[in-house]
Amino acid sequence: MKQHFLRNWSKVRGRGLLLGAGLAVLAGCDLIEFSPNQTHSPDAYSDLTAKNLAALAQRPVPTAGDTLRFVFTGDSQRFYEEAEDLVRSVNRQRGIALLLVAGDISDFGLGREMRWVHDKLKHLRVPYLTVVGNHDHAANGRKAYQEVFGALDYSFTHARTRFIMLNTNSREYRFDGTVPNISWLERQLADTAGVRRQIIINHVPPMDGDFDPQLEQPYVRALEHAPRVVLALNGHRHSFSIGEPYRNGITFINSYSFERRRYVVLTLWGDHEFRLDTVDF
Amino acid sequence: MTFSTLLLLHLATADAGSLAPADTARPARERWYVPSHLLVHTAGGQGLAAVGTGWTANHNHLALEAVAGYLPKKFSITPIGIFTAKATYTPWQLAVRSTPWRVQPLALGGFVSYSASRGINQTRGSKYDAGYYWWSSRTRVGAFLGGSAGRAFRPTKRGTARTAMAYYELGTNDLYLVSWVNGRGKLPISSILTLGFGVRVQAW
Repeated sequence: MKQHFLRNWSKVRGRGLLLGAGLAVLAGCDLIEFSPNQTHSPDAYSDLTAKNLAALAQRPVPTAGDTLRFVFTGDSQRFYEEAEDLVRSVNRQRGIALLLVAGDISDFGLGREMRWVHDKLKHLRVPYLTVVGNHDHAANGRKAYQEVFGALDYSFTHARTRFIMLNTNSREYRFDGTVPNISWLERQLADTAGVRRQIIINHVPPMDGDFDPQLEQPYVRALEHAPRVVLALNGHRHSFSIGEPYRNGITFINSYSFERRRYVVLTLWGDHEFRLDTVDF
Repeated sequence: MTFSTLLLLHLATADAGSLAPADTARPARERWYVPSHLLVHTAGGQGLAAVGTGWTANHNHLALEAVAGYLPKKFSITPIGIFTAKATYTPWQLAVRSTPWRVQPLALGGFVSYSASRGINQTRGSKYDAGYYWWSSRTRVGAFLGGSAGRAFRPTKRGTARTAMAYYELGTNDLYLVSWVNGRGKLPISSILTLGFGVRVQAW
């Protein structure tokens, strides 16, 4: 009896193993992983920036006139429960064109974390776009981010509003003077064809100790010289703030992190007008 | 689905625990420091391809192994050498009837691994003040459960068994576990699992 059981069992077990392995490979899922630091990402979880930009381009601007409304948040790292509730809340808002995450998508710089966050944010009814954070640079995170999302510096224009997503995680590059890339920023700011307003989105704000101190003034000057800048948006600090820290007319807003269960809705119109609403979730 | 099948199989085999272990005879062994087996391994966070060696204790129920794995640049910023030390406990070693086939329906194990790679951005280093990041990006700690099946071959002249056993390890690591705990049920347990495979060969 026991022997019979064993004989059958070993057959079943052999099939189970083969089936398990086969299914995992077929599904292209994360189960078979060579290293948590591996940067390769399945098709459904790669080039998400390009995919979201394509989706954004397909959508009509949901607000009338020259008005643009979007959700601004940051630091989703490890807050999966909050991410679900945030998505539910944002999906109830009206007139939202897109959602911006101001970096630190992951906590440990692991590709799997970025996919877990996407598994929550993919349920948004609007496209979402991210900028890279310092935690997204841990371990192999920089390349994992590039595979899952895309470029570390990029810009796009929607409803005549230019969004400039700039990597400002200088400490991760040992303050070597290359990050943030000021000349790239200046080029984006100079390209104003069809652009009525410009918004800069960073993870680390320029007045933070993790921002290259040698580049703080060049960054601020670049923004000052660009006549169409409406807002500079940052994350990293996990708490909300709004102000004109450089007393030069440029408003800086720091996002709530996911864990705060609060986000802001920004509504822009005209050349410089904006309204900020806070939503609890 | 597959996980629950495997888990159910584990539970089912608990009933077979009363069967006598296959290798109750204890032939003379090499000195303690001579490894008892070699292994080849893939995935489970231990590299695309890995080789290792190990020692067994406690009547082959406990295996201690050192594994060196490799992950090519295609999957990384720069290639990674992954060095893993693992301990595996196998409570049951069963022979299938009087055939040479052997089954170890359950294995419980833990590992520590170190990933060496120039491109890995270290979380501990001169760039940061102490405690800036609390975890190490290079050292992982993990646990797994698994099983193995294989066969015995003609014993050596000294009377020790020659065996080749294929095994699997279903596990996770510290950072995935922390994420899962933090997710408070919003990350499925399957999302933090990793599956590794290998073959252990004892030939001397």
